[in-house]
Amino acid sequence: MTAGILLLTILLPWAGALFVWLVGNDHPRLQHSLAVGFSVAGGVAGLVLLGFASRDELVVLSIGGAFGNFTFRPDGLGVFLAAIATVIGSLAVIFSVDYMHNEAQLGRYYSLVLFFIGSMSGLVLTGNLFLMFAFWEMTALCSYALISFYNDDPKAVAGGIKALIMTQVGGIGLLIGAILSYSYLGTVEVNVLLEKAGALPSNVLGIIAFGFLVAAAAKSAQFPFQTWLPDAMEAPTPVSALIHAATMVNAGVYLLARFYPAFAGVPGWREAVMVVGMLSALLAGLMALVATDLKRVLAYSTVSQLGYMVYAVGAGGVFASQFHLFSHAIFKALLFLGAGAVIHAAGTRDMREMGGLGKQMPFVRTVFVIGALALAGIPVLNGFWSKELVLEAGLQGGATWMFGVMLFTAGLTALYTFRCVWMVFYGEAHSHSHVHDAGPAMKTALAPLAAGTLLSWLLAGNFAHLLEKTLPYHEIHALTLVEILEEVILAPATWIALGVVGLGILFWVFRDALRLWQEVFAGIGQIARQSFGFEWLNQAIVRTTMQVAEDLRNLQTGVLNWNVLAIALTLLVVVVILSLGA
Amino acid sequence: MFYLPNIVLVVVLALLGIGIYCILISRNLIKVVVGLQIAVKGAFLALVLAGKLASQIDVGQSIALTVIVADTIVAVVALALAVQIRRKFGTLDVHALMSLRR
Repeated sequence: MTAGILLLTILLPWAGALFVWLVGNDHPRLQHSLAVGFSVAGGVAGLVLLGFASRDELVVLSIGGAFGNFTFRPDGLGVFLAAIATVIGSLAVIFSVDYMHNEAQLGRYYSLVLFFIGSMSGLVLTGNLFLMFAFWEMTALCSYALISFYNDDPKAVAGGIKALIMTQVGGIGLLIGAILSYSYLGTVEVNVLLEKAGALPSNVLGIIAFGFLVAAAAKSAQFPFQTWLPDAMEAPTPVSALIHAATMVNAGVYLLARFYPAFAGVPGWREAVMVVGMLSALLAGLMALVATDLKRVLAYSTVSQLGYMVYAVGAGGVFASQFHLFSHAIFKALLFLGAGAVIHAAGTRDMREMGGLGKQMPFVRTVFVIGALALAGIPVLNGFWSKELVLEAGLQGGATWMFGVMLFTAGLTALYTFRCVWMVFYGEAHSHSHVHDAGPAMKTALAPLAAGTLLSWLLAGNFAHLLEKTLPYHEIHALTLVEILEEVILAPATWIALGVVGLGILFWVFRDALRLWQEVFAGIGQIARQSFGFEWLNQAIVRTTMQVAEDLRNLQTGVLNWNVLAIALTLLVVVVILSLGA
Repeated sequence: MFYLPNIVLVVVLALLGIGIYCILISRNLIKVVVGLQIAVKGAFLALVLAGKLASQIDVGQSIALTVIVADTIVAVVALALAVQIRRKFGTLDVHALMSLRR
């Protein structure tokens, strides 16, 4: 029974991908219906699976000796992320009905989105490292193809390639970890690695731990790989919401959380994780403050919030990080889809050309402001509780100066969020064209997300219980909702953070009075606009690689006889090495 | 000295040597393919010999048979390519075909 539901969570979206593709682009209406039908069915399966969480492996596909069996295990972490992927995914698909209306090549679009949703579920539910790697690459492939969906736009194509290459660097880290695990433990089972991590030589465990950190940083667009996510915003907006805010980028945080028990003891690993999270949160927050493209602001904000989650894992707050992931997935999907509605209506992504849209789009304004308040960490909304838990974990498990930086970033978050809301929905109207409010399908997708943003924190107790019960190697002590609320409200971290958040808002409200300060910080703004030099660094790496490749090309003479001679000589060298007993 | 495996081994090495020499020095694409075929025949014989020496002659023979099938396909495709190259470039000289490099 449970095994069936687990497989359905993965296979329903995949079946949808196949059918939408087979229907062909001559029947767009049927394609819309099929995509919505299968994604919603997948979402329902994901939600039902939540009730069947257990720590046993349920599905074992025997694939012959080489790499052990393909196992799937619906433990707390897995079912929770699978539910997020399928539910947010189905909402993004519903939103697409309006957003992708009249778009050619719907088949390609929906197939890739549905294939992605299934792959993401597979990634979090599998218990086999190699299978995890396969799903990991499938999500990367879908991400690439969807970012480059408008493939006659060179910027979209470049963005897709950039995302693919950067996440591939992470894939190498994951693969190295999996291979080392296989060569030392004889298996790629995730749970065996968690159980026997202590038995591995310390340097090997260190390589695996830092390999996985690289993988997580690349997938979650963390420092120093943060530059691909803003460029990924060339994708259609539902894709940005689904893949680049709510699901795929979470895979990195998931990986760190999943393997935290094995790696926590590796010298320097936790500190490295916290530094990566802190730098990502801070730098991306600064970049969000100066960006003028609505989707890029949200992308930087995603990098920044993911930084909070990574920081929490490093500090030992696995529950805090996953809870923030949960809240963030809901409110960031809301913000992205809201931004999609705005962009769809206004016909531009530049916030300087918006302004005063609130009157014409009251529904979108309301839900967007709800999402923005959650992002800023204003009490009662879900973002407040989870961010406070993260900060509390940081204060308990990490250095105080890092906590200070994260606190500063919390104020920064409030500052850039209010700037964004103000520039889009309030102030002077810059656009003279008539703007309409969101369509019915968009509203259908936005309303539940807004409700989730208001209420999802009520599930914190159940969620903690779920994780405690089903994760054999994590030490998570479940607290009831009341205990969590008490802990958050009584913690000094909360009050300091609220003060800083308030300061951030005040900075925005009195921005005119603070002109002098703006001059002082203009320099930082300028550097932030250049993405702190990382863009330049990336291009330098690309240039060097291409130059080296061009130089190596001279070794290829193009004369057949020489090629054969090279092959024969290499064979000889191999034979000599083998005969020497190496 | 005239132990059978030794004789076979000499033949194997001779075939391999002739084949590789032929590939290395000939500039005619057809001759290169012929050289390749000779070298591969040496490899078949080596497989059978290895099977015999390991007392698993049937394994050696079946692998040799498999390679024969693959090798036939290689030869057919290579010769077809040679025909096309001759038609398109008017030459079979491998040095002249350096222009295929880019």
